[in-house]
Amino acid sequence: MSTPGGRRGHGGPRYPAWLALPALGWYAAFFLAPLGFVAAYSFAELSGFVGVDFAWNLENYRYLWDPVYRDIFVRTLGLASFGTAATLLAGFPFAYWLARYSRRRTLLLLLVIVPFWTSFLIRAYAWLIILDPSFPLFRALDVDLLYTTTAIYIGVVYNYLPLMVLPLYAALERIDWSLVEAAQDLGDGPLRAFRRVTLPLALPGVVAGSLLVFIPLTGEYLIPAILGGNKTAYTGTLIAQEFSEAHDWPLGSAIAMVVIGSMTVVLVAFSRIAARGEVANG
Amino acid sequence: MNEHEIEDVPGGRRTDRKGFVAGAVATVAAIGLGRFGAVDALAASEADAGELFYYNWADYVNPKTYPAFTKATGIKVKKDYYVSNEALLAKLKGGARGYDLIVPTGYMVSILSQEKLLQPIQWSKLPAVKANINPKFRHLPFDRNDRFSVAKDWGTTGYMYRTDLVKERPKTWREFVNLTKGKYSGKVTVLDGIPEVIGSMLVMLGYSYNTDNASQLDKAKQELIALKPHLRAITSTEYKQMLIAGKIVMALGWNGDGLAVAAKKPAAYVIPREGGEFWVDSYAIPVGAKNPDAAHKWINYVYGARNNAVETAYTYYGSPVRPALLRGVLAKSILGNPAIFPSATVLAKLQANQITARGTALRNRIWTEFKNA
Repeated sequence: MSTPGGRRGHGGPRYPAWLALPALGWYAAFFLAPLGFVAAYSFAELSGFVGVDFAWNLENYRYLWDPVYRDIFVRTLGLASFGTAATLLAGFPFAYWLARYSRRRTLLLLLVIVPFWTSFLIRAYAWLIILDPSFPLFRALDVDLLYTTTAIYIGVVYNYLPLMVLPLYAALERIDWSLVEAAQDLGDGPLRAFRRVTLPLALPGVVAGSLLVFIPLTGEYLIPAILGGNKTAYTGTLIAQEFSEAHDWPLGSAIAMVVIGSMTVVLVAFSRIAARGEVANG
Repeated sequence: MNEHEIEDVPGGRRTDRKGFVAGAVATVAAIGLGRFGAVDALAASEADAGELFYYNWADYVNPKTYPAFTKATGIKVKKDYYVSNEALLAKLKGGARGYDLIVPTGYMVSILSQEKLLQPIQWSKLPAVKANINPKFRHLPFDRNDRFSVAKDWGTTGYMYRTDLVKERPKTWREFVNLTKGKYSGKVTVLDGIPEVIGSMLVMLGYSYNTDNASQLDKAKQELIALKPHLRAITSTEYKQMLIAGKIVMALGWNGDGLAVAAKKPAAYVIPREGGEFWVDSYAIPVGAKNPDAAHKWINYVYGARNNAVETAYTYYGSPVRPALLRGVLAKSILGNPAIFPSATVLAKLQANQITARGTALRNRIWTEFKNA
């Protein structure tokens, strides 16, 4: 029999449900309703230059079943996966050091956040100056990365790194390091202790950071447009093209729905992993 | 009155100038006014006549014109910018209101008016336009009765190159494509404009700029896909600076930008032998304008011959004011420049955008494949 009152059992304080109303109202008006519009448009049909005939057909989705769009989706998944892996690899050691050893945490955390004080648009344009072949570093190396895929990848890691570091730090900071010491005292080598104690405890942070990086990357528009010279298609740039240049709102909506759908699948998969992590942690 | 001094300042129809200080070659100075019977805009100074919200291509107005207009009319100008006709349409169709004045290209005037997004022009408020406009710019095909638009300026879509960095002297679209795929691979950009880029390939292949024949469009697509790996970027806003800095040597773009580059570095603008696009950008007043009166005042103001010369000397785009009125107030180097005012024989080869809805849909698909290639 299931326990009434949910997994936390009885005895917890009972909060009045109406406290959730403002947030609920907000999401209903500004998330669910627009999402409904996008869904409705995705079944509609373009007529003339900008007209929309509302209908109930799958034509837009069928149209997307095509090698061109498959290529664009695969390329986008590649970018999102690369961004997630690279920020995790670069961010984890830093967050680990910050949480366990650093004595200037507040200052360093502040430095991680500082870039957000400037609009990303401006930082992206700043990267155009850095990536320019006449910039001293790249002139010395004699490489020219401006408007290349490499430039897009560099921009992605730069922009998303803080989004990975912060949740990782939050998870690592809560770790009771005496647990790791105990594991080592009981015979685990450092690597084994890391794998068996630190990593499982940090897993919620890894999952949260990965979601924060992966999901927005599947719709990334600015970085390919600015650092990539706007010449490579990703789902984000494709949706922008359909809405702004082609005026095919129905097709743009269908692409958006496919992205949202795939992200839901990813989200569910990730939260399963996170739930397993929590269970393992007890 | 230094108001009559006109300088050449490199500018461009659609590009942002990022920190490039004007080269400022003073060409025309202090020439008498009203000598040719031009009606100049009323200069009645009013205290506070409200605000004009001007939604335009970036860098498409001489910065000097704003304060001069405010001084003459008391109307302050608030600005916002768009990057393409399509983006303008998307904004208005999406419900944006409050803009008093916009500058769509001819084909977009016709789409916007069909979509009921424009309000009629009141010609009674435009005495300077009626007196000064070159009759060729009235009753244009996209607005036969002059109901919704007044020509702002006109130009062509071709390509430009740095004559010091490109030793060849290309004259055709085919040469542009071959040089891009060959010697200058990675040093060429094209506009981020669907009709312009696809249309250029169609014209190169001997087809109409406006075709909606699927097999002709497919051939144009093949040309573009073959060209893609050799392009540095697809941009409508950066190529002028990149050419001036020498990062690229050739670019598909608009004539005014080509002349702006040529004002700073050795460069040439080419109207290709096969032909290309001829466009007229027109003033129009969108529905929901808060101050249509101010919009009319702006249009009337810039149709004053002197004011118009100030604009032309800045944008390097053709003026719709009668040439006789410009003679004397506009530098001969501009008035006589065939890249700004092409000859009738050259103009005869050019086409205006008249792409159908079907053709637009086909082009959109090609553009996706081009960006995916």
